[in-house]
Amino acid sequence: MKSEISGDVPWVGQSIKRKEDHRLLIGEGSYVADITMPRMLHVGFLRSPHAHARILRIDATAALALPGVMGVVTGQDTAYLGSILSDLSVPNLPGETKRPIFGPLPLDEVKYVGDLVAAVIVQERQALEDAIDLIEVAYELLPSVIDAEAALRPGAPLLYPEWGDNVVYHQRLEKGDVDGAFASADLVVRERFRGHRCGATPMEPRSCLASFNAAEGLVLWLTTQRSHIKRHLLAEFFKMPDNKIRVIAPKDVGGGFGVKAPLYREEILVCHLAMRFGRPIKWIENRQENLQNIGQERDQIHELEIALTREGKILALRDRMVANCGDARVPIYVSFAMPWLGMMYLPNGYTIPCVDIDLTCVVTNKAGLTPSRSFGSFSGRFAIDRIVDIAARRLGIDPLEIRARNCIREFPYVTATGVNVDSGDFLGALAKIRDALSYEAFRAEQALARKQGRYLGIGFSLGIEFSGLSSRILVPMERQPGYGVATIRVDANGQVQVAHGDQPQGQGHDTTISQVVADELGITPDDVNVISGDTQSVPFAAGTLASRMGGYTTSAVLLAARGLKPKLVRIAAYLLGIEASGPENFVFSRGEIVWRNDPAKHISLAHVAETALLAPTELPPGMDGGLNYTAHFEADTNGMHSCNVHGVIVEVFPQSGQFDILRYVAVDDAGRAINPMVVQGQLHGGIALGISNACFEEYVYSESGDQLATSLQDYLIASARDLPHIETVEHNVPTPHNPLGAKGKGEGPTGMVPGALGNALEDALVPLHVSITEMPFTPERLWRLVEAVRD
Amino acid sequence: MKQDVAINLNGEIYTGRVELRTVLVDFIREVAGLTGIHVGCGFEGRCGSCTVILEGVAVKSCLMLAIQADGAKVLTPEGLARGGELHPLQTAFRDHHGLQCGFCTPGFLMTLYDYVKDIVARGEVPDEVQIRQAMAGVLCRCTGYVNIVAAVRQTIDRLNAMTPAERQKWFPL
Repeated sequence: MKSEISGDVPWVGQSIKRKEDHRLLIGEGSYVADITMPRMLHVGFLRSPHAHARILRIDATAALALPGVMGVVTGQDTAYLGSILSDLSVPNLPGETKRPIFGPLPLDEVKYVGDLVAAVIVQERQALEDAIDLIEVAYELLPSVIDAEAALRPGAPLLYPEWGDNVVYHQRLEKGDVDGAFASADLVVRERFRGHRCGATPMEPRSCLASFNAAEGLVLWLTTQRSHIKRHLLAEFFKMPDNKIRVIAPKDVGGGFGVKAPLYREEILVCHLAMRFGRPIKWIENRQENLQNIGQERDQIHELEIALTREGKILALRDRMVANCGDARVPIYVSFAMPWLGMMYLPNGYTIPCVDIDLTCVVTNKAGLTPSRSFGSFSGRFAIDRIVDIAARRLGIDPLEIRARNCIREFPYVTATGVNVDSGDFLGALAKIRDALSYEAFRAEQALARKQGRYLGIGFSLGIEFSGLSSRILVPMERQPGYGVATIRVDANGQVQVAHGDQPQGQGHDTTISQVVADELGITPDDVNVISGDTQSVPFAAGTLASRMGGYTTSAVLLAARGLKPKLVRIAAYLLGIEASGPENFVFSRGEIVWRNDPAKHISLAHVAETALLAPTELPPGMDGGLNYTAHFEADTNGMHSCNVHGVIVEVFPQSGQFDILRYVAVDDAGRAINPMVVQGQLHGGIALGISNACFEEYVYSESGDQLATSLQDYLIASARDLPHIETVEHNVPTPHNPLGAKGKGEGPTGMVPGALGNALEDALVPLHVSITEMPFTPERLWRLVEAVRD
Repeated sequence: MKQDVAINLNGEIYTGRVELRTVLVDFIREVAGLTGIHVGCGFEGRCGSCTVILEGVAVKSCLMLAIQADGAKVLTPEGLARGGELHPLQTAFRDHHGLQCGFCTPGFLMTLYDYVKDIVARGEVPDEVQIRQAMAGVLCRCTGYVNIVAAVRQTIDRLNAMTPAERQKWFPL
């Protein structure tokens, strides 16, 4: 609109440099660990060395005798606080749900290695390990169960004996005549897939600092994705009013990826201890306890079968899905919300009319599952994209062709599991990946290479990525709203402040929000100050999750800016002496409000703002002062989605099982990219996580329940030299369901990786008849597969 | 047991009486209050977020004791800019979106400070594999490293275009 008068280029769509970067580059980032307070104490936790044991005795005498040790708190001391889970913190999904009962510290039983036993409070942080080492605990070992399928067998040790079994959640989702489809199929493909336990593991571990005083109440600085939800749950647990608790996610949070979305027992304990000791208390998680406790996800088995026609059209899908949820003592998610959503997304971007999915979420003596980027769908996406390739090979159909025959073509489309896919263009994306990877030329090169004893392979994945979740999904799933919300306040100098509910962990929200506001109000991103994360100053929202920023929060920001306009133009018209008229008659450009009928008549936004804030006597008669507007955005659809295709080329060395990723290309649908550079960054990071998960990382449990990857030397996060260059190709189809047409980015790219990579590896090894059904794709696993076939 | 140490951090001498077992990163963050560097692993030297320049060489400050750095000159991210102008590395990270959450960024800046100083002094133009190899001591979970590689390239190009004297300004240690 403004470009027609001023020739301005809109800020939305430009890769402007991030506003966040300067402070981070000069060492002035502010993370929880950087905050200190006078008289601050430190807390650390004694954790269980056993997978399942009864606590007989805790003797803290020696620890308490150490100088600087202020106290040791056990489950007996906190028992009066009661149980953590309530209707507010348990997913309310269709199916059979059970609920573990537990407090912040265990009364008499530990359920996995790394489980909490006691809290130790000290004056100086360096004394923590000494004190923890001096606590003596007598345990009686109990039988444990690590494997999910073993936990389902009769007679298995029970995590929660009162349940009678180890099933925390079960649902069977059926749609259409599945049996009929299988009976009439030309081909049925059946395979068992395993997605191993891995996850997101942000570089900043969990950390929090709580203080309490009568005037302010409880103040909690927390590395979190969702301040408001945690405040509300803390208020419920401590039986305090919400307004006596303030939760602050600092400006800088060192990565989240879902891991910082649940409310954790440790966080509740730190709040309790701050009140108990009447002093600020800080907890900085160390990497060992981090790897023992959180960031663990995936861990699913899929016994998947699909029925197809001779032409490769998928008629139906059956899956017996088992998720190993660990101890499941994870408020908000109870470790089964992720596999449930993974089940909902199992058909993904394929049109499969009939489904029968049986999901069993099992508790075991592992750490509870916590959300990790790709939220429950990493293993299922691997399974579905793998089985499509297996079917294609059996039918003699090209992998790109079978995808073209089965992808969603008409929008909106509702999957058999009930997911609404609003917009996208898979066929166009498939064409782009074909070009980007020079598909025909590659096949020729591959054929030649095979003659020379080299093993090249190509693989694809095709998937939908949600762009936020609507309230209609999020309310039952997590008892939280899906709306985006933003408040805009105009300052007296015409600059604006935006307070929103989507506090970032590195995604560049300050920058993208500033671009959206700048366009709408005719100012620059530098004129916009963005605040988030502090429950005292931002409107209530569910927090950052499910890629909701691009679709939901930016829309709320836009609507809030738009909502200010009627008042702004009324003041402008009054001051200009023009007959009052609506926003459609004015253009906001370069800090000015310009009358369309006569661009010579204009007034600065600063002048209007100064009048509204400082000189209300000069406002139109009857108008109140001030310039604030809050908007909530809820899309008029159940689901906004991107439609994406990834492709990868590998070379495998069967003698060692090693392989190189030669090309990785993502054809991605961002709807309309607000800042293409930021979108690309999300793709790079999401894909890197996917490759790292699929190839290097695994939380390995021994049979006795020891989690063996307790340092970053053992839990292998890919370094720069382990990863390929990642190429991205835009294929944006704007969604009709929000004002900008933008789609969220973040959650999606990760889950696209294992299917594409698994397909490429198997394609490379076709001459050796190797079948890829399990992750991680380690050299050892590939070598064993090759050797097994050779034998 | 405690000992007095004095460490020159970014040109300013910080003193403190520390436990012998105090690691350098704790001295820098907690005694000197310079929180630009971070701790992301179990003091095992894997994450690299605590990397500093000590007497001209990149070291992981969680892997040495504060008393070992007594009397030494140390550079941290807070000391990279010169007279309000960002270091070419800092500019390049911003130009190429080489950072997201920023937690590991200080580790990359200090590691690459050592690397580009050396590369440019030797007049080498590294390929992508070599750049990635040089970055392998620091872990990032957000960026996928692609844009950091681009930032390193830009930095080397910019430094190569400078006179030796101009270049020297950016490498005080």
